[in-house]
Amino acid sequence: MENFVDETTRQATRQWTLAQPAVSAFISSVVRDFRDRDDVLQNVAVAVVESFHAYDSNSPFIPWALGIARRQVGLYWRRRGRDPLVFDDDAVACLAIAFHEEAQTRSAKFDFLQDCLGSFDGRAKKLLGLRYRDDMKPAAIASETGMTANSVAKALQRIRDQLRACIERKSLEASVP
Amino acid sequence: MNPKYQKLIHGYLDNSLSTEQQSELNQWIKADPKHARQFASSMMLHDRLRSELATSQEEAAPVVAASRLPSRLWRRRSFALASTACVLLLAFSLLWQSVDTPSASAAVVELNRIIEANEHSTDRTFLISVLEAVIPPKHRDPGSPERRRPPKPSLDGAVLDVRGSNQFVLKRMTPRGELFITGSNGETSWAVRPDGPIRYSDDLTRFARDLPGHEDRLPINNLHDGLEALRTAYDLELLPQEAPDRAAGQEHPTDRRMLAVKKPGFLGAARVEIQYAESSGKIREMRFDDMAYGPQRIALTMTATKEQTFPDDYFDHSSHHGQERVVEYE
Repeated sequence: MENFVDETTRQATRQWTLAQPAVSAFISSVVRDFRDRDDVLQNVAVAVVESFHAYDSNSPFIPWALGIARRQVGLYWRRRGRDPLVFDDDAVACLAIAFHEEAQTRSAKFDFLQDCLGSFDGRAKKLLGLRYRDDMKPAAIASETGMTANSVAKALQRIRDQLRACIERKSLEASVP
Repeated sequence: MNPKYQKLIHGYLDNSLSTEQQSELNQWIKADPKHARQFASSMMLHDRLRSELATSQEEAAPVVAASRLPSRLWRRRSFALASTACVLLLAFSLLWQSVDTPSASAAVVELNRIIEANEHSTDRTFLISVLEAVIPPKHRDPGSPERRRPPKPSLDGAVLDVRGSNQFVLKRMTPRGELFITGSNGETSWAVRPDGPIRYSDDLTRFARDLPGHEDRLPINNLHDGLEALRTAYDLELLPQEAPDRAAGQEHPTDRRMLAVKKPGFLGAARVEIQYAESSGKIREMRFDDMAYGPQRIALTMTATKEQTFPDDYFDHSSHHGQERVVEYE
């Protein structure tokens, strides 16, 4: 591969790999369907490489990539007819800034997520699998597990809060900024 | 964080908010940059959870040929891996674009050339030919709202002048052979009927409704957005090059064709075929199949006939009627 990829493409790929978690999360926040999110994300990846010649390397990459993501999301909305359960343009603009800031300060901490996931077992592990691996919503999980939708939603909230606390603790122990 | 908004964020993550709650969350995010960051932080965890767990499922799955993977599982690839792989695939396609491979990657590269050529074009004129018009059963009821509207002048043989993404002049003939012109200069849209007042509006969509595609928010005059939409909403395929039939007087023997088939769940024509100059990427003709047009589903071609620079005021209504006509604002 080294023989075929030129320096510009190598730089684009490197930058994209670093920016991808923030861009992916940003798209997830406004494109609710996981499969559509994958499609939009891949279109953004393509557009980033195609437009990389226009990127000013003196400015931060993530806001630039988020700008491309906003345009691709806009196109997606226009194709689908806007989902009534997404944010308005001003909120999306606020979120683009917020994802950039969060990526700068917190992105590395999420590397501890795998470790923290390993500490769960039993019901919590099952709920996480149903929600994130099988893409089931609380109501569907409720019928699968015999719980109520409300108790599933509360349990998921608790699990995510515990994961966040675990990630913070581990990153503090490892002195990750 | 206020527990109320914490709950709203978690509700959003699990797709369980009501419209009112969504609106409340929307306002809260805009109210303070800190709020937006709190939401972004939760969303990053949510997104990483999805990536980690979907990937772990894939790793646990038995190895089978990609073509046999259920599409749902195939799509659940790690986002990082998939999108980075996409970048690398694109890099290869850019490097290998000279190879005549009718692959989706090659089609994307060609689409980029078409988009770039379109961006550099001056004003253009297209001739519209309607190939087929069908009224779906749901609109056959004479009492349906669509059927109650007055018939539109025929699109067949219409001439469409375009500039950029939002300026156009559409000239159609009425059954009595009179010109019916609609257009937009990017600031107002307008209609010049054979009789009666000239009407114009600040609403750019007001008189753009006679442009096919407006129902799907992609009127055919807006080639910029239309071509961009092909990337997102369509599967692309480069059609094999045909040997030029010079005996039949084939006008453009070096043209290529691309077929775009709409993905499920998206709006727009079911199929779009683009004939373009292989050397420059300039569009010669576009064909739209199964496209919404009022109560009808139509198939049409849009053939480029001229490229020129119109006068600055060409897209104003005043360039298309006499000064004696009454002008009304709507």
